[in-house]
Amino acid sequence: MGIVSRAVRNISRRKMRALLVIIALGFALSIMISIPAGVLANEKTANAVSSNLSNLINQTGATINQTLTQIDCSLGSSFSGFGFTAPSGTSGGTGTYGGGGYGGYAGSGSSSSGGGGFTPGQFGGGTVGGYFGGGAFNGGQANPMNESLYTDINSSLSGIAAVEPVLQASEGNNVTRNLDFNGYSRTITIRDVTYTIEGVPLTSDLSSYMNQILPTNITAGSNLAVGDSGDVLLSENNSAYFGAGVGDSVNILGQSFTVVGIYSPSSVADTQMLYLNLSDAQAITNNTGYITSLTVFAQNSGDVSSVASEISALHPELTVTTAQDKESALSTEESTYTAALANADASDSQTNSTAIEEIVVVVLATSLIVLFVMLYTVKERTKEIGTLKAIGFSNSAVMTQFMLEGVLLSMIAGVVGIAIGMVAAPTIASTLLPSVGAVPRGTAGATFIAGTARFGALSVATLTPEIVLLGFGLAILLGTLGSLYPAWRAAKIRPAEAMRYE
Amino acid sequence: MSKTVLQTDKPEPQSTMQPGRPVLQLENLSKTYTLGKCDVPALSNLNLTVNAGEFVAIMGPSGSGKTTLLNVIGCIDKPTKGKVLLDGIDASALPENQLYKIRRDKMGFIFQTFNLLPYLNARENVELPMEGRGKSKEEQTKRAKELLAMVGLSGREEHRPQRLSAGEQQRVAIARALANDPAIILADEPTGNLDSQNKQGIIKLLGNLNLTQGTTIIMVTHDSQAARNTERMLLLKDGKIMKEMQGLHANKKKQICPHCGAPIQVTDEKCPSCKKPIYASDELFSS
Repeated sequence: MGIVSRAVRNISRRKMRALLVIIALGFALSIMISIPAGVLANEKTANAVSSNLSNLINQTGATINQTLTQIDCSLGSSFSGFGFTAPSGTSGGTGTYGGGGYGGYAGSGSSSSGGGGFTPGQFGGGTVGGYFGGGAFNGGQANPMNESLYTDINSSLSGIAAVEPVLQASEGNNVTRNLDFNGYSRTITIRDVTYTIEGVPLTSDLSSYMNQILPTNITAGSNLAVGDSGDVLLSENNSAYFGAGVGDSVNILGQSFTVVGIYSPSSVADTQMLYLNLSDAQAITNNTGYITSLTVFAQNSGDVSSVASEISALHPELTVTTAQDKESALSTEESTYTAALANADASDSQTNSTAIEEIVVVVLATSLIVLFVMLYTVKERTKEIGTLKAIGFSNSAVMTQFMLEGVLLSMIAGVVGIAIGMVAAPTIASTLLPSVGAVPRGTAGATFIAGTARFGALSVATLTPEIVLLGFGLAILLGTLGSLYPAWRAAKIRPAEAMRYE
Repeated sequence: MSKTVLQTDKPEPQSTMQPGRPVLQLENLSKTYTLGKCDVPALSNLNLTVNAGEFVAIMGPSGSGKTTLLNVIGCIDKPTKGKVLLDGIDASALPENQLYKIRRDKMGFIFQTFNLLPYLNARENVELPMEGRGKSKEEQTKRAKELLAMVGLSGREEHRPQRLSAGEQQRVAIARALANDPAIILADEPTGNLDSQNKQGIIKLLGNLNLTQGTTIIMVTHDSQAARNTERMLLLKDGKIMKEMQGLHANKKKQICPHCGAPIQVTDEKCPSCKKPIYASDELFSS
């Protein structure tokens, strides 16, 4: 009859008590192991959030740098009769847009109805002419320029990292509208744009600028890649307009293109924009050799103003703008992410300190449960202890007996606790630990982080083998701690007194 | 208890003990309990020698110090003064971490309330004192079964105490007391909780153990029938031995009538031949 089986029998002798103690200890232990699991999960989440945010911060920083180095060059406002001869045969041809104006190829004006060129003849003379003449309605719209400008700027200026030539052309229908102004009534023809072709250079020298050249928010298929030809990237609006998805062919100005991907527009300006290789765009719009804008990337942001003035000096006809205003917006975004990162870190460390406090409380509570139960057991079995000592059990044998009972009880509770933890760890952890919900929601780009960072979605609070072992070790430790004093009390009972105890 | 395992009329004791060797010597033994500010003497200047193979009954009214004396002899209580020599060892001078060995190896306890461990069966209860003595599990089991057979419990080894009668439980306790072949069996009112039939069985069993095995037994009892089936009867009063008398076993372990010398049974109240009461309890207490 070994000491272990005696301990087992003693525990099973008081089944109800053992059961209650095991349940209580089991819950305490499940909390004890769920907390480190939660902390680990929290750390994992916080790390993911941190790395996401760090990436975003880096990306934003890079965007800021690139934006800072970016110089947009275009031929000012579109003046009808600028002297540019529109290619014949395109819609919006010379006939409609008198004066040889190139109004037919409107830029991506912020209004979908914008972009149509006005025939000066229609509005000629009088006060109205002053308002409508000269293409005032075409403000901000780029006019085509000779591609030679590209080579010129690219080769003759220093401090330039890259030059991106772009051809932008819109396709749509002419709509006739009546317009009243100051008592004058006029019938005008404007363009209702159905899509805008953005011809971008898919050349290897610009490969590191593709994120700025092309949309980044691809929702289906893939983006255009360097060297692609005969392929098109559609906006979601384009996709609906053409009724085409990834892999389908679409007809653009009489030529068939394969849809490689669909993107979600980031602003109203690109809702109708489809992206083609520059050479494809030039070919189908009969604009070979022509572009509508140039984007110059300075080697670094400090060079921007000197490069801009050099461009202005070289080609005074170009409107040269740098994007200083974009910088502040991006900086704000960057600081938001930085704050979110700090929040996540703070939340993480707070979670850790909370976890430590809770574990201390649970450890104390659990030890006390064992302590009281074992003290009661010792008191209840005083006579038995007296008998054992009378028939020759040493103090240490008695002590070992009771220690073993306490430890065994907590070991069983440990198994129960681990079983509970297997099921309930995520719930327990998310109940007891503050979440990382400090990441701003709704901030562009942060939504997906918030999604992963919600502590409630804590399927990640799983029990690793290490935590299970830790829990079991803790159970044994607590059993030992809790039964140390009662067992010592038992050992110190004097047999003569124990024999008198009833 | 009809089953008598050991025959009382077996002539030769098979004891390994040398009869006459003192196994217990009490010298000027005093024990004082302190209750609050009062000192209550339980034993005062008590001297006693018990030789190997003796069967001693200690009698006396309540509060006379019987149980205290037994506890001091059994090393579960310490004397205030005086010496307790057990098999020549001065137990009163030993620290607690040595005393348990004396209790385990030299003593066998039999209690009024049996004090079996309820969660162990009969065999396991008997094996209990053998733990820590380096015996193999098989040896322990073998010995326990032998002892249980000796006290008449063959076939009941695996029963737990609650499934045994009071008499059977006390038999298990006797077997447990014998487990380590002790020098002295200390019995504290062994028949106190038994009905008359079970009582007689236990009296017979203890008597037979003493007669045939030479087991030294010191028994505290209120029961005159139990007391007279010993060799010596000590009457304790106010912590002192007031009177010492011979028991039925005194005459060379023969059971004979003290009046006419006819052979008698240990459980006989009156002599079968002369019809006189064999031992009147009044006689013992009339001092």
